[in-house]
Amino acid sequence: DALLGCHRSYRSRPTHGIGKFKYLLPKEVPKKRKEKVQMKEIDAGTEYQYGDVNIQMTSYDLCLVEHFAQYVHRLCNRLSIRVIESYAMPTKTNEVLFLEERGSKMQLDAVLTTHQRVVQIRGLSSTFAPILLEIIQSNQPEGVHLLVKQHTEADFKSRLKSRPELEELLAQMS
Amino acid sequence: SAAARRPWRLFGAMCLLRLPRITQPLEKEEEEMAALMEQLELEKSHYSDHEIRKLEEEEQLKRRKESLYDEDEAHGKTVIMAQDLEEKWEQKFLGFKAAPRITDADKSNDRTSLNRKLDSNLMLLVKQKIGNQELWLLPQVEWQPGETLRSTAERAMATFLGDHIQAKVLGNAPYGIYKYKFPRAIRTVDNVGAKVFFFKAFLQSSDLSQAELKADYLWVTKKELGDYLNSEYLNKVNRFLLD
Repeated sequence: DALLGCHRSYRSRPTHGIGKFKYLLPKEVPKKRKEKVQMKEIDAGTEYQYGDVNIQMTSYDLCLVEHFAQYVHRLCNRLSIRVIESYAMPTKTNEVLFLEERGSKMQLDAVLTTHQRVVQIRGLSSTFAPILLEIIQSNQPEGVHLLVKQHTEADFKSRLKSRPELEELLAQMS
Repeated sequence: SAAARRPWRLFGAMCLLRLPRITQPLEKEEEEMAALMEQLELEKSHYSDHEIRKLEEEEQLKRRKESLYDEDEAHGKTVIMAQDLEEKWEQKFLGFKAAPRITDADKSNDRTSLNRKLDSNLMLLVKQKIGNQELWLLPQVEWQPGETLRSTAERAMATFLGDHIQAKVLGNAPYGIYKYKFPRAIRTVDNVGAKVFFFKAFLQSSDLSQAELKADYLWVTKKELGDYLNSEYLNKVNRFLLD
């Protein structure tokens, strides 16, 4: 019959379940959508440790910034400082218009893109922090601005995009 | 009593650094590597918008010269052509003059000015009287009980350079320590020797037009320190100086 002609081996056969492989793969945890916002911050105490510290590098030149961010990341790895994340902020495009008024009005355009990379660090001891700062400062390439600050919720929120429709609907509901 | 039994006198010294303003020149291998990478990238890259525009306009010009297509192609003819833009930019670039890299190094090694070696760290050295000797040292001042060592160092800086120095001290921990014993003549039970704690600070602004109180100060790079300091002092100081 057609039913017995298929290749599935029945449970009594020794070849039952021969094609199965999913039990061999590692278990997948279903992905949660929500991001956890607050990370803990340690302050004060005899061994003074900074909490989350953001090192932000900004520049017009993409390659420089990327390479410098990679360098900082690798430096922290070598000095066994824990790096939590290293991400990029969205690039900002600026149009520069020159209005020269010598007789005829000319407009020269220039389009500048500003790139920003952030490396997040935790567990920086305060005896070591100035040394790290000095190393990074002395190895700064030209044209790259450096900013080191504590991580705040506002920093985290600036990475997320706001959804105006969702907010409108929420406001309508409540 | 609590604080009486210390035979060592404590000093706080400030190492004021001026950060380099320009990057150091590349080594020979670095330059060759950079040139090679640039050439590679140039050969592998695609045309940018500006270059495509330029090529198209060149083709249009050529076609117009060979045969007379004026009317149909006239709509593509903009007021400014890409070639003109390029020439304008070239002229602007030629008009731009970069500041010289070697400023006062020409000026016969004037070591008291801050404009010297723009690509390396400069440190402040001051001539101080210790015992009966006049020595070149990092500015130091004696510690007074009840104040932190860092504020001692800041006071040292303030006494030699006046207030309102925009210097940023990094952290409360000292960078190095140098201890020495007084020569036998001056040594008493209470005063065996002195310990000097070094702190580091970065100079924020390069404007020191106010208050240079005591004369005899120098701004010196790391290599030139050996000319002025004692050897042991130099050893201890060199340990915490990056280059």
